[in-house]
Amino acid sequence: MAKFILRRLFHAVIVVFVISLLIFFSIRLTGDPVAVMFAAGEPSQQAIDNLTAELGLDQPIWVQYGIFLRDLITFDLGTSFRTGQSVSSMVAATIGPTTLLAAAGMAVAILIAFPVGIVSAVKRGTVLDFGGRMFSLIGISFPNFWLGIMLILIFAVMLGWFPASGYGTPQHFVLPAITLGLILSGILSRLVRSSMLEVLNQQYIATAHSKGLRSWVVIFRHGLRNALIPTVTFMGVQFGGLLAGTVIIEQVFSWPGLGRMIIDAINARDYPVVQGGVIVLALITVAVNLLVDLSYSILNPRIKAGGSDS
Amino acid sequence: MSLQQTVPGTEDLKDSTGTEVPARQRLRAGGFWRFIRKNPSGVLGMILVGTVVICAVFAPWIAPYNPTEASLGERLADPIFADETGESRYLLGGDPLGRDLLSRIIYGARISLQVGIFGVLIAAVLGTILGLIAGYVGKWFDDFIMRAADVQLAFPFILFAIIIMSVLGGGIWVIVVLLGITYWVGFARIVRGQVVALKQLEYVEAAKASGSTGLRIVLRHIFPNVFSSVLVLATLFTAEFILLEASLTFLGLGVDPTIPSWGGMLSDSRNYIDSAWWTAVFPGVAIMLTVLGFNLLGDWLRDRLDPNIKA
Amino acid sequence: MSEKHTPLWRLLALGMAGTLALSACGNGDDGGNGSADGGEDIDEAEAEVDGRDNDLVIGVPLDVQDWDPIATFALAWSTQATSVFEGLVHRDLDLELQPGLAEDWEYHDDTTLEFQLREGVEFHNGEPFNADAVAYTFDRLLGEEGAQGPQQENYTAIEEVEVVDDYTVIFHLNTPDPVLLTNLSGYGGVIVPPEYMEEHGPEHFSENPVGTGPFEVTEYSRDNQTVLERNENYWDEDRIPELDTVTFRIIPEASTRLAELQTGGIDVMKEVEISQIGTVEDHDLLELDEVETPTVRALRFDVDREPVDDPRVREAINYAIDRNALIDDLRDGYGVPVASFQSELSFGFNPDLEPYPYDPDRARELIEEAGVEGEELDLYVPGDDGNAQEAVQAIAYFLEDVGLSVNIESAEQNTLNTELVPAGDAGHIHWFGWGGWTLDFHNTAWLLYSEGEFYNPSFADDQVQELLDAQRESVSEEEREEIFHELTEVLQELNPDAPLYADVYLYAINERVQNWQSPHDDRLQLEDVTVD
Repeated sequence: MAKFILRRLFHAVIVVFVISLLIFFSIRLTGDPVAVMFAAGEPSQQAIDNLTAELGLDQPIWVQYGIFLRDLITFDLGTSFRTGQSVSSMVAATIGPTTLLAAAGMAVAILIAFPVGIVSAVKRGTVLDFGGRMFSLIGISFPNFWLGIMLILIFAVMLGWFPASGYGTPQHFVLPAITLGLILSGILSRLVRSSMLEVLNQQYIATAHSKGLRSWVVIFRHGLRNALIPTVTFMGVQFGGLLAGTVIIEQVFSWPGLGRMIIDAINARDYPVVQGGVIVLALITVAVNLLVDLSYSILNPRIKAGGSDS
Repeated sequence: MSLQQTVPGTEDLKDSTGTEVPARQRLRAGGFWRFIRKNPSGVLGMILVGTVVICAVFAPWIAPYNPTEASLGERLADPIFADETGESRYLLGGDPLGRDLLSRIIYGARISLQVGIFGVLIAAVLGTILGLIAGYVGKWFDDFIMRAADVQLAFPFILFAIIIMSVLGGGIWVIVVLLGITYWVGFARIVRGQVVALKQLEYVEAAKASGSTGLRIVLRHIFPNVFSSVLVLATLFTAEFILLEASLTFLGLGVDPTIPSWGGMLSDSRNYIDSAWWTAVFPGVAIMLTVLGFNLLGDWLRDRLDPNIKA
Repeated sequence: MSEKHTPLWRLLALGMAGTLALSACGNGDDGGNGSADGGEDIDEAEAEVDGRDNDLVIGVPLDVQDWDPIATFALAWSTQATSVFEGLVHRDLDLELQPGLAEDWEYHDDTTLEFQLREGVEFHNGEPFNADAVAYTFDRLLGEEGAQGPQQENYTAIEEVEVVDDYTVIFHLNTPDPVLLTNLSGYGGVIVPPEYMEEHGPEHFSENPVGTGPFEVTEYSRDNQTVLERNENYWDEDRIPELDTVTFRIIPEASTRLAELQTGGIDVMKEVEISQIGTVEDHDLLELDEVETPTVRALRFDVDREPVDDPRVREAINYAIDRNALIDDLRDGYGVPVASFQSELSFGFNPDLEPYPYDPDRARELIEEAGVEGEELDLYVPGDDGNAQEAVQAIAYFLEDVGLSVNIESAEQNTLNTELVPAGDAGHIHWFGWGGWTLDFHNTAWLLYSEGEFYNPSFADDQVQELLDAQRESVSEEEREEIFHELTEVLQELNPDAPLYADVYLYAINERVQNWQSPHDDRLQLEDVTVD
């Protein structure tokens, strides 16, 4: 077990290292932050050189990368070119809203997907099943920004039920969480359906039936528990994707989150914020996956050989 | 997870070269209507995808107007059915430059299919080859593929795409290549998993024992078996790529605005949603139905060919 | 023109009337109205604002990001910061220079400028404003700290700020600077509190700004919102704000911003898109306010590239574009055709110079003469600017009409302006928007036409350069105006660009807001604004 954990930790370090390389060098291809900062002025060469030196951009690129890595190890993500704030504090301020949005979206997805998936599985082959599957497929067929704008139009502008955008009160969560949740529920309800089907076909359900237990009781007691495992896995694996999936929703709903901050930073060539933000996203994803894998190997010793590794 | 179960699809496809798909047998034996009744979602998917393909291929003949010819006087002309003035000649209305929305949507099918199909082609070919090698050879190469998969999972595609497109500019081929070189990992993982399982099966062992070379075993015995999984995933990824193109265009990084792409139309129309709703609604519906079609088809194929892949 | 359209929600409302009848009832007194008009009533009912008394909420697309005046050049900064900070000079809403923190000033000679400071002014934290604060501000701006930001460059004419007594300072200049006074009215020229800055440092200041302005910042949450409160101790009793608080909400998506305005989430929307005008005009509780700006949109040529190195081709393109159609058809008439890269608001504007008329026949002749029929031109446009995208598509159509072929390329805005354009990699033609906030043609003309400047990779002309140098060395308004007029005429002959129109900014306002005046220069001044 200890060996397994060590091995996974080693993998996690490699992944974060590779991502640090990718983000560090790719963001430096996008252009010179000094030129962007001076975009409205008439800078002299002297001023450009000063600022370049001040931002540490005059050093050889490998030295810059070395400094970035060295600071990263001590969790120092540097200082934003654009705001003068430490990147850590900027990330800390935005990670909360993003995580809450992701969690709310996940909650909406679960609320929709479980009933739909279970009914689909139990009533397999009926019109209900077809309807449930169509629903889940339609859910993942919307462009998310379009769905968001449509929801704003209908539920904020036309009906006035919820605020159109912003962050703060529980009402502000409704529309963005539904946008995110509808899309997720499409994937999740299929998972629930298939894992329920697996259970329903198994011997012990038939046994339970034969013992005279009412079918819904059986379904809930056995089926639901079984459906939870792939759901947890899905949430684990998708968590990173989920955080990133909030990017566009944050843009549409003016959500003060991490994804929006990173996009703005890319456009402003604010290297430290882009690097820090992406690294933090990667760390979270890797950590969540690690936890999911670990809990898996504890729950189910048969796959301890290394989870996804073979 | 599928290790203990029978290898997906082997019953149906064991000796085949890919022509003997069960759907076809069913068609011959049971007749057209029965097939439809038995496979409503598959048929719906085929109809939707078929319509899009026909639009894309025959766009110049189907489209009533030239999709790129601006006519400023007809800016945001009403759709014929909602037109109170009786002046509009456009069935689904005009866009902000007075071009026929319907014609643009019909031509837009080309862009979406190009992005979806070529993106998937790159991803599938790359992923299948690397997955086959990883699964069959194993060792460090396998490790490499698995770490690449982890990296892909932890580096949000949208952010990576924004960075690269800031450097290289927009354009459909940039998007295609980006999607291809990012999403190959999905194919590689699935192919690799199946190869690992297949390797231990008797007939592969037998072929090994009889002295077949590695390459021959992979091509003759393993590849045909993973093909169905690749096909299913390819269909589902096509759907996803079409959506991703729209999202990137929404962020202002997509294709040239004169090219009628659905994502571009949607993105341009977002502020007209109140005053000229058709510019936002119809391209959105076009994307939705196309993506739905591919998803239905992929789902149906999965049920028929490969019940073990999960989303 | 939008009035003849059937709004989507009207169709939807009819379709959903059955299912949503209940909810619509709960929604106001119009629930029983099932006709098509019902939808409109729902709309209006929602724009009513509850929970706000003497408070104003403004929806803006971009955030301040860094409040430190030496660290920014963003227009979004001055939108909010004008209420918080003040310079020695105040530029009012009519763009006239008025006394600000200085009561009076006087040029002793071209390079010596004396200011008499206002007494009894306090910063928001209680620190006194005096000559030391002025000296500190400019020492900081012109020293090492200022060198790290983009503002120092605008003030390099200042050699030294001499403190004569507590309320008198003398600016010693190393060269005459015709736009110095304008520069002192904003950005790097606003006065910051020395003790506060020294005690807390610039990093703290950039999120917790303190100035002398009519409002003080009580809450700042990046990319979310800023809350300003009335400064009860403001030095000008006539201009103590009527409002208790002003909240700026950052809403980048224009469609979301409008939705917030329609639902009463905000009272004022900045940057209404042309495409949204119809919605605002149709709405009974909303008003549209337009204001001219110094920003000009133009096509610029890379004069090193064939075939636009041929002046005839550039002239032809100028004749080929129907500027009135661009403005009337695409922009609902919002925009002013211009003959040079400046609007009426700019010092140096030449009222006698007419924009090129739309003359496709003349354009065809010139193109034939140059022998370039059918040649393909690459036209670069920012991918995230919807208005520009629409305009260039129409322009491509105009150019194709006269025998050229156009290939539109989208690039990300900053990539285009700070990488491709300076390197001469932005095709034959690129879209460019510029508006000097000094409202003096010098800023624009120098950056775009002076040889070797950052934004000017290829254009060079001796006569233009002479004129540019001459106006820079003069502080005589008359002389400079004459030079600028000549310059615009020369430029129209040479056609380094095709100026299209001067932008009009659009604000949408809930009718509860009174005495609103939209600024020409993005600097909102909210002292007189009241709400019902």
